[in-house]
Amino acid sequence: MQYSQVDAEAKAVARKFDLVVIMSTFLALIAGFHVHQMLVAGDWSFWVDWKDRNWWPIVAPIMEITFPAAVQAVLWTRFRMPIGATFCCLGLLFGEWMNRYINFNGWTHYPLNFVFPETFIPAAVVLDIVLMLTGNWIVTALVGGELWGWLFYPTNWVMIAPYHLPVEYQGSLMSVADVINYMYVRTSTPEYLRIVETGTMRSFAGGVTGVAAFFSAFVSVCMYVPWWLMGAHFFGSTKFFKTYESASTEVKHA
Amino acid sequence: MAQTQTTATAVARPPLTAFSWKSAGIAIGALIVFDVLINVYERLYAFSKGLDYTSADYESYWMGMLFAELVLEAVTAGALWGWLWMTRDRALDRLSPAEELKRYWALGLFVLTYTYAAYAGASYFTEQDGTWHQTVIRDTDFTPSHVIEFYQSYPIYIIFGVGSLVYAMTRLPQFAKAFSLPYVVLVGSPAMIFPNVGLNEFGHTRWFMEELFVAPLHWGFVTFGWGALAILGTWLQICPRVLALVNHVYYGKPIQSPAEVMKDPQSSVNPAACAACAM
Repeated sequence: MQYSQVDAEAKAVARKFDLVVIMSTFLALIAGFHVHQMLVAGDWSFWVDWKDRNWWPIVAPIMEITFPAAVQAVLWTRFRMPIGATFCCLGLLFGEWMNRYINFNGWTHYPLNFVFPETFIPAAVVLDIVLMLTGNWIVTALVGGELWGWLFYPTNWVMIAPYHLPVEYQGSLMSVADVINYMYVRTSTPEYLRIVETGTMRSFAGGVTGVAAFFSAFVSVCMYVPWWLMGAHFFGSTKFFKTYESASTEVKHA
Repeated sequence: MAQTQTTATAVARPPLTAFSWKSAGIAIGALIVFDVLINVYERLYAFSKGLDYTSADYESYWMGMLFAELVLEAVTAGALWGWLWMTRDRALDRLSPAEELKRYWALGLFVLTYTYAAYAGASYFTEQDGTWHQTVIRDTDFTPSHVIEFYQSYPIYIIFGVGSLVYAMTRLPQFAKAFSLPYVVLVGSPAMIFPNVGLNEFGHTRWFMEELFVAPLHWGFVTFGWGALAILGTWLQICPRVLALVNHVYYGKPIQSPAEVMKDPQSSVNPAACAACAM
């Protein structure tokens, strides 16, 4: 047998294992990240009238820096691959679009411009670049975490700007998104205006978004650290528990 | 895991056909076809027959489906897990390297199928449940979306997840004698999403609330979903052993025997040992 043929066979087998690892990891991350995202920040993601200037820029980034930090911890420390955050957020976006298109739009017939998801891809690319350039997870938490919070609203602005235009509807001033909310009845969904437009949040009007992003960036830094540690030391752990024999022996000796 | 060295080998090599995608293609293809058909059924009968729990139509179209799937799932789980256990390898310490490598490939396809099923359950059908609840008022815990999401898509991924774990524990030396922390988390944590349905349904029954998807009542699902991240640790355990087997089978490099791996599985995941093999 030619050495080159043996070598080719070995490489072919190794490549197949690589593909299985990549595909299964991608699917698992979609499953975990999407169920996390939809149940801690999902309402803001489902509806355009929830994509407001007060709470959405706070809730979404701080809840979604979690999986990117954990995956970065493994892909960077073990493989020097600065793609963990982007890999996660691409999976999340895939999972969200599959359901928005097939179910929100295809089954319950809401228009796509009412139910399109937010994107974290630009912020994730920046988070990965910060890690790649600094090679230091603490600096990535401090700088990348801040940028993660700050960049979320601007990088989604192109998509949501048309829906924040003011309109007068039945004598009241509201946004295009609010009017869409009234046009499409969602029997069980709370009216977001009732929750968000209260007290000082309304009084400070235009100044709210910057403060929200500032706050979001601060909490994103704080969230990054424990999730990096969990990724590195728990989810990326290679620990085996003691074998049954050694555990039994220890018990007997005790 | 790319190889760059070429040396003599005297070890039996498995044929390349042993590393076929066929079984995963059939399993995942069947799951996709099944999921499409389920979606069609839901579109035909959720709004037309599934809005009144007390109706005769509801009983036949949705409760009938619920009971049928629960029975089928229990039988399938028992049959698959039982078959894997009954046909376990009782001489793992004498497993040949070529056979071990083939079994790792089978395990990889098993895990791949599990992750597809987990994606379908935790991502696709769970957000579909949001589509349903935020559109209609619920009058039962066994609403059409739940019949599919909770009692069908979740048990399906549990069957594949536990099945893959039982396969690993019964056919691979690395997992035969000691529990793997990340693998148990990868399978056990998402599996706990199913029991957590009990908390969820009790909460929705006791407090008839608006469907706020971010309500704290739902955060049990979130916590258990984090377990999917443990696929990272699982592959970090498996890949060094696979690399060592490839190096051994194709390049004749030294390798830990199955008996040694069974005695101390932690030693088989040492990347330094793996790198030493490659040198």
